[in-house]
Amino acid sequence: MKKSLTLILVFVLCLSLPGISVAAHADNETVTLYTWAEMFPPEVLNAFEEETGYKVNYVNFDFDETMLAKLEAAGGGDYDVIIADDYIIERAVELGLLQKLDKDKISNYSNINPIYQGQFYDPQDEYTVPYGAGVQTITYNPALVSEPVNGYADLWKEEFKDNIALTANYRVMIGMALKILGYSYNTDNLDEIREAGNLLYELAPNIRLIKDDFIQDDLISGEVSAAVMYTSQVTMAKLEDPSIEIVYPQEGIGFGIMGMFVPSKAPNADGAHAFIDYILRPEVSAQCFEWLGYYCTNKAADDLIADEFKEFLVLPEEFKMEDMEMIGNISNDAASLQDEIWTEFKTLCGQA
Amino acid sequence: MKNRKRSGGNAAFLAPLYLFTVVFLIGPFVYMIVLSFLTRAESWGVVNEFTFSNYTKILKPLYLSTFSRSLKLALLVTFLIALTGYPFGYYMAKLPPKRRARLLMLVMIPFYTSSLMRMYGWIIIFRANGVLDKLLLALHVIERPLKLLYTYPAVVVGMVYALLPFMMLSVYSSVEKMDWSLVEAARDMGASPTKAFFTVTFPLTMPGLMTGVILSFIPSMGLFFVADILGGNKIVLVGNVIQEQLMKVHDWPFAAALSVVLMLMMTVMIWLYRKITGSSEMEGMI
Repeated sequence: MKKSLTLILVFVLCLSLPGISVAAHADNETVTLYTWAEMFPPEVLNAFEEETGYKVNYVNFDFDETMLAKLEAAGGGDYDVIIADDYIIERAVELGLLQKLDKDKISNYSNINPIYQGQFYDPQDEYTVPYGAGVQTITYNPALVSEPVNGYADLWKEEFKDNIALTANYRVMIGMALKILGYSYNTDNLDEIREAGNLLYELAPNIRLIKDDFIQDDLISGEVSAAVMYTSQVTMAKLEDPSIEIVYPQEGIGFGIMGMFVPSKAPNADGAHAFIDYILRPEVSAQCFEWLGYYCTNKAADDLIADEFKEFLVLPEEFKMEDMEMIGNISNDAASLQDEIWTEFKTLCGQA
Repeated sequence: MKNRKRSGGNAAFLAPLYLFTVVFLIGPFVYMIVLSFLTRAESWGVVNEFTFSNYTKILKPLYLSTFSRSLKLALLVTFLIALTGYPFGYYMAKLPPKRRARLLMLVMIPFYTSSLMRMYGWIIIFRANGVLDKLLLALHVIERPLKLLYTYPAVVVGMVYALLPFMMLSVYSSVEKMDWSLVEAARDMGASPTKAFFTVTFPLTMPGLMTGVILSFIPSMGLFFVADILGGNKIVLVGNVIQEQLMKVHDWPFAAALSVVLMLMMTVMIWLYRKITGSSEMEGMI
């Protein structure tokens, strides 16, 4: 009994562990796509397979960091197309894990919306094609809020006590305080970061929860009256409950871009280029972004997006580039200080 | 046990196990200790420069308070698990075999789903206007929805729930193989049922309790996802800090140093526990 019980315990423990992803396999007929789950509608992938004869091998990661660690271990091989966040692409470029795109093989390259090009992670647009962009947005339930919200500073009001949800990204959240103070998201000035930290600590009593996934559910269910969230979540919240108000904070808008790239030793670089080219077709892009819920990075696709989605998928006309700032990498000292502030802030939220 | 002779064939059977242990347990462990003394690279990864700074950083009040908070939570959770799991395991072991098997099955079934899923289940129960709120409102116990989710008690409930079966099963296994004639003897000698329990049954089932305590105490220091999901990220435990260092800050050496300190701390706690309770044997483990 004693032994068998131990065995059963070990067995059930193994069962309840989170899943482990399967390694990629590679040849010239397969395009190994490595990105988060559910980045493409299945019919788009099927149509690509049918038209080109390539087989798509879709491999998932949960976090950008996992992707970079695996790509580094594979020496830039194993995968053909990767989609990941801007800041991690900058690191991957530094490590020499990307190859320059052969734009002759991407006939639809000119469809890209130039707003999303020439950014810090790829200033010359040599390595990447943007695939979706998001901005940090304040959302609130007007039924639960007395007066309209215009910017981040309004979240500090007494009426939001224990009623705000935040995303769990410390750069975005400390960035919120930095923006109120008129500083850059990417400042390496430790005094500015400390000042922002002190301001953020005052927000603690208003915080009900901090998390990355499904934050829109808490806004819809009435668990919180306001939330700071990402674009795809805003889209889902609005589709579920159209009465929810969206605010682009007056202090400035932070945004992020997801980029497609081909690793330096991709086993099937031709297939990878064919895939990128296919996705850049206006009608395919429109289909993808309606599914994905991020801002459309394909200018030619903007007009094809159905009216019900347009409000969330096409960047508002009044957006000016100078009001927007991308969140890039900062020095280790700045990052460590921000993380300490963030840990302290979360602890304060738990005690408030 | 010690005197039993082992035949040569046994060694061949054990070889894969030893190899597995060396490759997947000792290997990563040594790697982690080495990593904890290295320096973080400016952009990504680590550089081979020896430093103590990862350990001195832990001495900051921010991280020390995180350790003490985790410890407090783990002790509370383990205490609650022992309080509820021991009687359950005891009761289960004394049932007739058929009902016992059924009950055992019921304890195991939740393990068929991922622990993450089970935590999301608690969200449905605890959230505003969720199952519990609706029930209490219908029964007129409360007048407006309670804010139960994303609180400290919610995290405690989640952890107790996640780890309770370990206590139940180890106590069960201990009680089940106990020699009941000893209890009868105590009763014959005039001990009351309570006295017989505390002088005979309880000491004899101590190994089971001990295993249960260790199996619930150790994970409760590191179950960061419960604090994430049910605590709304506001209850910061050592596990959460380690995860954040790995995934967001990319400071692997500091994460390794935190893990090493966490393990040392747990080793000391277990040693203390064995010292105090005087038990050396663990049920179903060693």
